[in-house]
Amino acid sequence: MSALAISDRAAISRQLARLPGWTVLAVWTAAVLLPLYILVVSCFKTTAEIYATRLGLPQSWALDNFVNAWTRADLGHNFINSLIVTGGAVVLTIVVSAMAAYPLSRYRLGWNAVMLGLFLSGIMLPIRLASVELFTLMRNLGLLDSLTGLILVYSAIRIPFAVFIFANFMRVLPSELDEAARMDGAGEVRILFQIILPMVKPAVSIVAIFTAIAVWNDFFFPLIFIFDDRHKTVPLAISVFVGQFRTDWGLVFASLAISMAPILIMYCLLARQIREGVGAGGGMK
Amino acid sequence: MTTFRRTSSLKRTQQRMAVLFILPALAVYALFVLYPLAMSLWGSVFVWKGLRMVEFAGVSNFSRLFVFPSGARLYGALWHNTAWFLGIMVFQNGIGLLFAWLLFLRDKGAAFFQSVFFFPAVLSPVIVGALWRLLLAPGGVVEWALNGLGLHQGSLTVLGNSHTALAMLIAVDAWNWMGLPVLIYTAGLRQISGQIFEAAKLDGAGNARMLFSIALPLLMPALGTLTTLSFINTFNQFDIVYVMQGVQGNPSYSTDTLVTYFYRLAFGAEGAVGITDIGLALALGTLLFLILSIGTLMMLRFFDRRTVQL
Repeated sequence: MSALAISDRAAISRQLARLPGWTVLAVWTAAVLLPLYILVVSCFKTTAEIYATRLGLPQSWALDNFVNAWTRADLGHNFINSLIVTGGAVVLTIVVSAMAAYPLSRYRLGWNAVMLGLFLSGIMLPIRLASVELFTLMRNLGLLDSLTGLILVYSAIRIPFAVFIFANFMRVLPSELDEAARMDGAGEVRILFQIILPMVKPAVSIVAIFTAIAVWNDFFFPLIFIFDDRHKTVPLAISVFVGQFRTDWGLVFASLAISMAPILIMYCLLARQIREGVGAGGGMK
Repeated sequence: MTTFRRTSSLKRTQQRMAVLFILPALAVYALFVLYPLAMSLWGSVFVWKGLRMVEFAGVSNFSRLFVFPSGARLYGALWHNTAWFLGIMVFQNGIGLLFAWLLFLRDKGAAFFQSVFFFPAVLSPVIVGALWRLLLAPGGVVEWALNGLGLHQGSLTVLGNSHTALAMLIAVDAWNWMGLPVLIYTAGLRQISGQIFEAAKLDGAGNARMLFSIALPLLMPALGTLTTLSFINTFNQFDIVYVMQGVQGNPSYSTDTLVTYFYRLAFGAEGAVGITDIGLALALGTLLFLILSIGTLMMLRFFDRRTVQL
């Protein structure tokens, strides 16, 4: 009886000792979620309502701001551009990087290490500093102001990280895999795409997730290479809205919500993979 | 004999296939990353007229960088980037360690808090900057909350004040990336054997003692990764400044960074509108490239030496 009381009290005091820690965690959770809550409720309010009821729910869940952002501010167009650029860069990066990583990690060439080193050095290179020469190059190739140009630049920037991830995953697969297939007369292209690539699905998803986030979010290269409104991507359009629709807060909040929606959905579905990917490699940005 | 011929023909096929397989990735990477970067470094020792190289300039672009009127811009931006890096080290990577330690001590809820803390990091800095610009604006919700709590009176002008604007941007950046140190530290803590903490507990070490005397020395690889990443990211800082304060780093250049300055020189927003100074821009780019490469190498070596092997 008394022993039980003592252990009870010990348990309670242990929980009490943890209270400050829980408070700290709760405070930062609020610091993250409150701005996002305000963002979401403000999407449904008129500007006058945003000023009147700061934290309250909107009077009605009207979609006017979303409709205005999508059509009047033409965010729909930017959204499709961003989807095309992100999708194109993800696919191109995965295909060419997997192709390069396969011989580099599984053949004995004598020059694997040098070539791999050349690719890996690109992970840290500050490519923004090359933007003047990149601009001249893109102009000479006729790639300025085009989504194709953006797709090529983004793939080039993401290839080093992708080759690194693919090579690490492919290196540890048993060599019997491709040897057996080769005995059966399978070509190297088939071995890569039908045998090796399906075995490294986690690598494909890591590369896809982090390439998609980096490309969807990028602002610097569209700012430099895109001039025509019809070719602008979402972050570039948002940077204009913030100044242009300064007085129409509801519209700006709604356009922010629209532009983060795809990443938000992906994050909710893939939070565990993203957490593990970052914790393991720290390979973001 | 036949096996020999077979392996050597396999080797020849492999060499040929390897070249074909590597070529697409190498071509894209070399054309759009390596070539422009090499040309930018090379171009920094030439005189430029518009987008055209004119003649060899030696180090004159570099010496122009350090004197009036560019000198003031350069030193200002250099200081802002340094302050930004130090601020991130303390407020993001320091507080992040506390969060990670608290999550490590609790088995329940760690995944939930990690997911919440990391969420802003998957958003574009443009969106984060735009959101905080609205929240911190005069008449915005932060002003309303501070006035309501009696902590502040009247209009909130932290972004328009040259004494506070930079600190606000650093805070927004820390808010954006807080989840990164939390994830990297917790991954590091989980690799440390539980027996070490058990033994320390038996010896009567408290939580704080365990964190600073036992966990921290073993977290050197994680701290090294974070320091290097934060260094690279803060010295490339552009998006948040552009969206919140404009490309001039307003007010009166108090939030100007090396990359916003580089952008103005290269794409014509410094001085008279539309005038570019490519020579100066490339010299600045080369300087920044040297700062980043030397800094990164020194940090990697520093943390490599301090890594404790068990």
